[in-house]
Amino acid sequence: MVKYSGYKGRILRVNLTNKKTTTLDFTDEFAKKYLGGNGFAARYIWDMVDPRMAAYDPTNVVAMMTGPFQGINIPTAGKYYMATKSPLTNGYFDSVSGGYIGAQIKYAGYDGLLITGKAEKPTYIFIEDAKVEFRPAEKMWGKLTGETQEMIKEEIGDPNLCVSAIGPAGENLVRYACVITEYRAAGRGGVGAVMGSKNLKAVAVRGSGSNQVADPAKFEEWLDWYSVEAKKIPSLVAGLPIYGTPVLVASINNMFGAMGTRNHQTEVFEGWEGISGETLKRVYWSKDTACPACPIACSKVFTVKDGKWKGAISEGPEYETIYAFGSMCGISDSGALIKTDSLCDEWGIDTITYGVTLSFLMECYQKGLINKDNTDGAEFKFGNDDVLVGFVEKTAKRQGIGNLMAEGSLRASKVIGSDSERFAIQVKGLEIPGHSARALRGMALGYATATRGGSHHDPRPTGEYAGVSDRKAVEGKAAWVIGTQQMTTIGDSLVQCHFLERLLGFTLTQKFVDMINPVTGFGYNLQELVDVAERILDLERSFNVMAGIRRKNDTLPKRFLEEPIPDGPSKGMNTDEATLSRMLDEFYGIKGWDKTTGIPTKDKLVKMGLEDVALALEKL
Amino acid sequence: MSVIVTLEKKPLIKFDVQKCAFCKICELSCSKYHYGRYADSLARITVVRKSPLMLRCHICTRCEKRFCIAACPKNALSYRGGNIVVDEKFCDSCGICVKACPFHGIRLHPETKMPLICDLCDGDPSCIKACPKSALSLVLLPEARK
Repeated sequence: MVKYSGYKGRILRVNLTNKKTTTLDFTDEFAKKYLGGNGFAARYIWDMVDPRMAAYDPTNVVAMMTGPFQGINIPTAGKYYMATKSPLTNGYFDSVSGGYIGAQIKYAGYDGLLITGKAEKPTYIFIEDAKVEFRPAEKMWGKLTGETQEMIKEEIGDPNLCVSAIGPAGENLVRYACVITEYRAAGRGGVGAVMGSKNLKAVAVRGSGSNQVADPAKFEEWLDWYSVEAKKIPSLVAGLPIYGTPVLVASINNMFGAMGTRNHQTEVFEGWEGISGETLKRVYWSKDTACPACPIACSKVFTVKDGKWKGAISEGPEYETIYAFGSMCGISDSGALIKTDSLCDEWGIDTITYGVTLSFLMECYQKGLINKDNTDGAEFKFGNDDVLVGFVEKTAKRQGIGNLMAEGSLRASKVIGSDSERFAIQVKGLEIPGHSARALRGMALGYATATRGGSHHDPRPTGEYAGVSDRKAVEGKAAWVIGTQQMTTIGDSLVQCHFLERLLGFTLTQKFVDMINPVTGFGYNLQELVDVAERILDLERSFNVMAGIRRKNDTLPKRFLEEPIPDGPSKGMNTDEATLSRMLDEFYGIKGWDKTTGIPTKDKLVKMGLEDVALALEKL
Repeated sequence: MSVIVTLEKKPLIKFDVQKCAFCKICELSCSKYHYGRYADSLARITVVRKSPLMLRCHICTRCEKRFCIAACPKNALSYRGGNIVVDEKFCDSCGICVKACPFHGIRLHPETKMPLICDLCDGDPSCIKACPKSALSLVLLPEARK
């Protein structure tokens, strides 16, 4: 037991090889030092996984974590956190998803699960409080995520059971296979593929316990403060509740000219109206849904009532998916997007990487680097929605060109050759989402330095859209980016989504401290919280360093470094090699990382209380 | 909002499936009100999602047939003041009432094993107050003629 609230003080370790489980108790100091979710997983994965090992090695760990906020009535924290060594980036990787399973892990008496080993046969794990069962999943193997969840709920006899499952893509080691809980995805980086490599089809959790806060009166005060202040934030009262994240399409495309189009050949999409939040709401909207305990309900169920894709229904697409399937593939029919979104969820594929990889292949096709002989006879033309819809299944099954698509754009470019890597839109192997690295200076540096690579949840674009940080400025940008990365790290450790950033701050502020202290009783001050974030980021970086990541990997696709945006509101903008290099120097300087190599210095690691990590890096 | 429940009127927590966003704040507020902590296993209301658009709300409906009362072998349940009331002296936690309720409106407390049944929070249901989507409302139906 730990003295702080929001924690159970206990992690469940599951070994699939010998079907043994053990519990691991942590100390008060550990909780305060690593906070939860991201922090816990980063520490445990550092301790347990050799970063040089292949992602599919049985010794790799799938961490399923919670923070102090899961299972209590706090907005935007109805989530769970997954981490592993990624088969896509070969580095530390985490993915956060909406889902009640986070709360259930807490109610079952754990702060998280660490799953290692490899089951002999397809298996799913059922956890009910202290009871852990390894159950055969042969009959679910090959099944879609929805059907798998239903089969498990039926087998256990609980329609309300929380199940996180992989689809056939995870089983077939598609490098960006996701994990699905209900209809939401721990999407990026291939956590689902690592589960597949362990013959682990699903994790189901049910708990009969509860979670409490340290100071109920102060917490009530905070909730009252939230309900008053949140009403003053337009995105929290209108944008997200009414339209969801698709609301971003119109402004990002028209105001900023920053919506990657046809594999970033431009960043203004002429067909934006068909895939805008307004069109989705007017023509396709059926229902608002929410992550557990969240009053915002930004998730939307869309139904296609007419036309070619009539009958398709999906929770989503979200903005990033609209970018990846829509503007990137040159498709302006939301019907096709909704259909593909539901297929990706069912087969268990990350929508961003799927769309961006497809748009990369479409450009290869346009340039004549591949042709119908390579594409199973299909026309990989921009705008061909039959390809978008039709190749989800082939990718999940690794059939035909689907086998290449399943590798992601970077690996595909190495197979195709002809300098196609210059327009593979990825960083460290992870495809870049719909926030422009050319139109937003912070995202250029942010993607380049992010632990995960092309992720919009390491650095955040919102502050630059809001004009709080000048999106063109180079001066001071390194400090800004570090600030946003610290903010997302704390969010991922609380396992809370980042949509409160306009309320709490784009970088860490006292408001985060005021939210955390009543729940946990840590009595943090702001500097202590910043140190927690830095400690976690340094730990992640050190893991990546051990896996071979250096300064030379902190870069952007050649296209972004060499070709300014050709037209639209951000015409002429990009961050070139020299500018990026200058920002990197400044970034490493502030971080306390070595400027030549990008390795965290011993001084910095010791200052963060990571002496053992410093020692390991010294041996390199 | 405070409601005086009389025997002539039957209270019902009405559920709007279109408005409900499946956030489960109703469940958390229920357990918080009754037990001061957050746990869905302590909630007397449960929302289940069957498909993207199909939601079900499980809660005592104060139905005409009172299946639970009829099923209880210990006569521990009775209908008083608009609520099904458990007499814990008589209840032996057999769980027959849980199975008897076709509305899935009863569950057993995970520790005490006593039946948990909606009691309208003394006339001011916390789930209704907490619902951010106004998907829950209290209506009073005329009691059907016997």
